[in-house]
Amino acid sequence: MDKRSLFHWVILLLSSLVLLFILAPLLGMVFDTSAGEFFETVKDDEVQASVWLTLSVAFLATLVFSFFAIPFAWLMARYNFPGKRIVQGLVDLPVVLPHSAAGIALLGFISRDGLLGRAADTVGLNLVGNPVGIAFAMAFVSLSFLINASRDGFAAVPVRLEKAAMNLGASPLKMFFTVSLPLTWRNIASGFVMMFARGMSEFGAIVIIAYHPMTAPVLIYERFNQFGLSYARPASLFFILVALVIFILIRLISNRTNNSLQKRSTGQKVNA
Amino acid sequence: MLRLEHISKTYGDFKLRDIDLEISKGEYFVLLGRSGAGKSQLLELIAGLRRPDSGSIFLNGQNITSEKIQHRKTGIVFQDFAIFPHLDVYNNIAYSLKIKKLPKDETDRKVREMAASVNITHLLGRKPGGLSGGERQRLAVARTLVTSPDIILLDEPMASIDTALRDDVRRLLRKINSSGMTIMHVTHDYQEAVRLAHRVGVIHNGKIMQTGEPDEVFSKPVNKFVARFAGIRNFYRVKISCDKDKCYARSGHHTYNVASNGYGNEGLMMIRSDAVELSTEEFREHNCIRARITEMNRAETGYELYLESGDKYHVLLKTKDVQKYDLRTGQFVFLLLPPGEIRII
Repeated sequence: MDKRSLFHWVILLLSSLVLLFILAPLLGMVFDTSAGEFFETVKDDEVQASVWLTLSVAFLATLVFSFFAIPFAWLMARYNFPGKRIVQGLVDLPVVLPHSAAGIALLGFISRDGLLGRAADTVGLNLVGNPVGIAFAMAFVSLSFLINASRDGFAAVPVRLEKAAMNLGASPLKMFFTVSLPLTWRNIASGFVMMFARGMSEFGAIVIIAYHPMTAPVLIYERFNQFGLSYARPASLFFILVALVIFILIRLISNRTNNSLQKRSTGQKVNA
Repeated sequence: MLRLEHISKTYGDFKLRDIDLEISKGEYFVLLGRSGAGKSQLLELIAGLRRPDSGSIFLNGQNITSEKIQHRKTGIVFQDFAIFPHLDVYNNIAYSLKIKKLPKDETDRKVREMAASVNITHLLGRKPGGLSGGERQRLAVARTLVTSPDIILLDEPMASIDTALRDDVRRLLRKINSSGMTIMHVTHDYQEAVRLAHRVGVIHNGKIMQTGEPDEVFSKPVNKFVARFAGIRNFYRVKISCDKDKCYARSGHHTYNVASNGYGNEGLMMIRSDAVELSTEEFREHNCIRARITEMNRAETGYELYLESGDKYHVLLKTKDVQKYDLRTGQFVFLLLPPGEIRII
């Protein structure tokens, strides 16, 4: 191996400290939780329900909002219009807002006095304290991850390819689905995972919209408040492990989808 | 077949100005121009990728100015080929057929026929990433031809191709044209125009300067810009006077005998570099000028010489002539500018 300079050793040391900073609390939590406490928490119905609620609502919120976010991202990548920077600033705004403030803003919008709340109320739906309200809170704070990742992906697709598709007879819609979208697949998948992860981990906005039904972060907070650190720790560990498994699974599925997309476009017909 | 009437379009500081053009069915038309002259923009207007600010485009008598891109029947092959990177060669060619929802067996037959006609059958299963420039171009042409367009628009088709492969591409384009396909090809390369075109046009600063058969355009250029495209490098601003049946062009340094042909009082005199003769002995004819060689460079088929005698001259010589006269920089030689080779515009 090459002889490293002092500079490289300093960089290595600083990098190790950063990694240690991330790993130490997590490892501390693992070592401070006994197997008995952990399995008891896993079997706890309330914990299971909150984890399931968190995952399912985060996933559905991401899925539903992606139908709006992805076309919007294409628009942002392809067109210049007056006020585009302001629109981009609006997209990024939820990331920099204090999430409790985002929750308050959203509450005004979806409560029975708010615009959306009143509309929902006409069909007998109260968004506050409801999984739909939780989905709104999750999407509000995480949507920019999907929009920005997709926009970068669309921007990287040469406009000429889209023009070529239309010159070959594709309508704008066909062009979008056969050229723009497949070429942006990786960015969209990455944005999808980021939005899902961010939504899943949201606490500040959700706790204002819906303390009940309890999502996992709210449940952990409540256990910590009522019973203290040692009681909140096993639930936290369980949620972190579930999140890890989910992310590994998503990555595997996403890679497999990418591979099958590539396979589909390589010579199967030729050999037929 | 294709007719452009008073087409204008502004792109920031650049403007396509009042373009009139007509291309007949089965014709191979080459539009020549420097980069930035407006060639590609004109193709994009014809293909419908952009709309003109004013003017009309007719294809087979039908006004297609506002027609959607996908309904125009104008197939464009982009300079960078715009091959879909996520599709293999087969699916790139099949793209338009799948859009039209043709039956699978018909799609398969057409793709294979088209691939065979441009010699890329062996590449059908390959991803575009591994293809050479020539292969990518054949693919782009096949992908466009399979749509059965009324006209093919080629944007600098040789620009991304190795010089060695250009002959193959030219042969392919001639073959496509001889099958009856109308082609409009834009390029900056005069040689390409000479080798391929039935008719040429020269575009400069967004305006078409001249159109006609290659011989006509390059032997009778209407202005200095077109003349430069034809490879003419010797230009002299002259005052013309005629005495009975003889005419003279005075450049300020020399008086040249020119064929009497009803010129005005002033003009731009020009002569092709390969029409100027050179000797170490004085010519006993009109327009013999003693000049000093200021520079000698290797050229494609011999040497190019720069000479000076008040006026400056550019002369192309074969290698054997350079060796015969043992020419060197700084040497004085005699030039002959035959009056019959001189043009005045």
